[in-house]
Amino acid sequence: MNKEYSVRLVKKEVLGDTCAVLTFSCPEIAEAAKPGQFVNLSCAYFLKRPFGIMCVDKESKTFSVGVRKVGKGTEKIIAAKEGEEFTVLGPLGNGFSFDGVKKLLLIGGGTGIFPIFFATKFAKENGISCQVVNGYRCKNDALLYDQFSCACEQFHVTTDAGDLGVKGNVMAYLETMGDEELADTTCMVVGPGIMMRKVSEWALSKGLTCYVSLEQRMACGIGACLVCVCKIKAEQEGKEFVHKRCCKDGPVFKAEEVIW
Amino acid sequence: MSIAVKVGQVDLKNPIILASGTCGFGRELSEYMDLSKLGALSSKGLTLLPRDGNQGVRVAETPSGMLNCVGLQNPGVDAFLATELDYMVESGAGVVVNVAGHSNEDYIAMVEKLDPYKDKIDALELNFSCPNVKEGCMVIGSSPKAIEALVSDLRKRTDLPMWIKLTPNVTSIAETAKGAEAGGADAIVAINTMLGMAIDIRTRRPLLHNNTGGLSGPCVKPVALRMVHDIYDAVKIPVVGCGGISTYEDVLEFMIAGASAVELGTITLVHPTRPAEIVEDLAKYCADNGIEELSSLTGTLELWR
Repeated sequence: MNKEYSVRLVKKEVLGDTCAVLTFSCPEIAEAAKPGQFVNLSCAYFLKRPFGIMCVDKESKTFSVGVRKVGKGTEKIIAAKEGEEFTVLGPLGNGFSFDGVKKLLLIGGGTGIFPIFFATKFAKENGISCQVVNGYRCKNDALLYDQFSCACEQFHVTTDAGDLGVKGNVMAYLETMGDEELADTTCMVVGPGIMMRKVSEWALSKGLTCYVSLEQRMACGIGACLVCVCKIKAEQEGKEFVHKRCCKDGPVFKAEEVIW
Repeated sequence: MSIAVKVGQVDLKNPIILASGTCGFGRELSEYMDLSKLGALSSKGLTLLPRDGNQGVRVAETPSGMLNCVGLQNPGVDAFLATELDYMVESGAGVVVNVAGHSNEDYIAMVEKLDPYKDKIDALELNFSCPNVKEGCMVIGSSPKAIEALVSDLRKRTDLPMWIKLTPNVTSIAETAKGAEAGGADAIVAINTMLGMAIDIRTRRPLLHNNTGGLSGPCVKPVALRMVHDIYDAVKIPVVGCGGISTYEDVLEFMIAGASAVELGTITLVHPTRPAEIVEDLAKYCADNGIEELSSLTGTLELWR
């Protein structure tokens, strides 16, 4: 039986002006979580807030999430002090499937880099060949740069400002990749909708398998309330789309199924 | 000591019912609690044909609650009968089937489809109150005469207990309750969500892509409680209270106000184990306070004169 866990914030690392990595003590989530899954975390307001899991540490029995201040709820969560108690549901959602994956190309942007970090570590620990391409606004925005550099030998960066890595968005790097390099590659993308859409179109045009992790405003996070649906291509003839639950059926979907 | 209750002819092992639209058909919440511990589940609101529901943003948080505009996304009554009803029966909780139509004909057709399954269904909950679909539902549910006419028509077509779920978006819920009673309803369920709105001041657009939505959660509890009290005073049939219930104390308040049973909805979306915990809390409350029959609390409110 799943539970709502009471968890303690054991560590908070502030990243820049608007982000923080929060680490919570919770043996069950540390043990069970897979890359691409999320937790629903209490805040000072009514509903919980969903965050992609950034990493787990099975030895210290902790999990971490990256949070960007986007509203009042995330502002309160970031303002929390070490030692504070939260309640949490998780791990939630389907997560990425690594079955049969030969080569990985992980692409992150915005707060999507946090779940991409979990996938990056998973690939390293499981000996899966992996490249990471993260898109940032500028050098100062390059969150987890050192951590990614340690976790992945082929870590590439693009910045809109051009002050770090390739100038432009992630497409500026992806379009330089040759077909030979891309052969047998599986893409996993987490980031703003427009980025995931552009990367999906590119990946599918190259014949690559591509997964995206969708985001919607959520309530329960467990599939009961149907507020977080996204449009997925219908299999039934004569029907354009079906509404699937981002929290329960996703958040990870095959790129070719998504109606953007 | 007993926490069992009766809603008219329907026996429930305790007064806790999961409200329609917050528990699907029970599958997801079965991962968080033993559904057989609950009084009943009320199914997702069913329509005659499958519905995709509304598009775009469907939820907005409010102080102590939330707005939703799901718009009755459901697989339709036929798919429900084929794949979900037996699951609900096997869950061990009582089975309440919530039915929402766009027209009188829709309700008639659905009641006729459901009536043959009376050995599996404890009650039909006729949803005359969804605020998020354009036709039917709340329009019928706003008129005591329209309610009476439809309920009396449906009464001829089934002897399944008919609970009428009313909207609070009316001038007098006592009047709509009387209409349901006059038509032959077995119980009143109150309240459905309150029509509301939230606005993004930067874009000057509603946060919900349906523009408006149904408000639920602890913020509506005082209104719901007052309405349950009004209905209990106005009709002789039982009342099932619903609106912002989050603790066993809330359940007791609703029962004292006149509810025979209660529905829990929005709190389950925040704390999915809470309904089963409240069942245990109610048993403890009765034991600690020497209450032999929890049902004896119903309607024991003493007003100030």
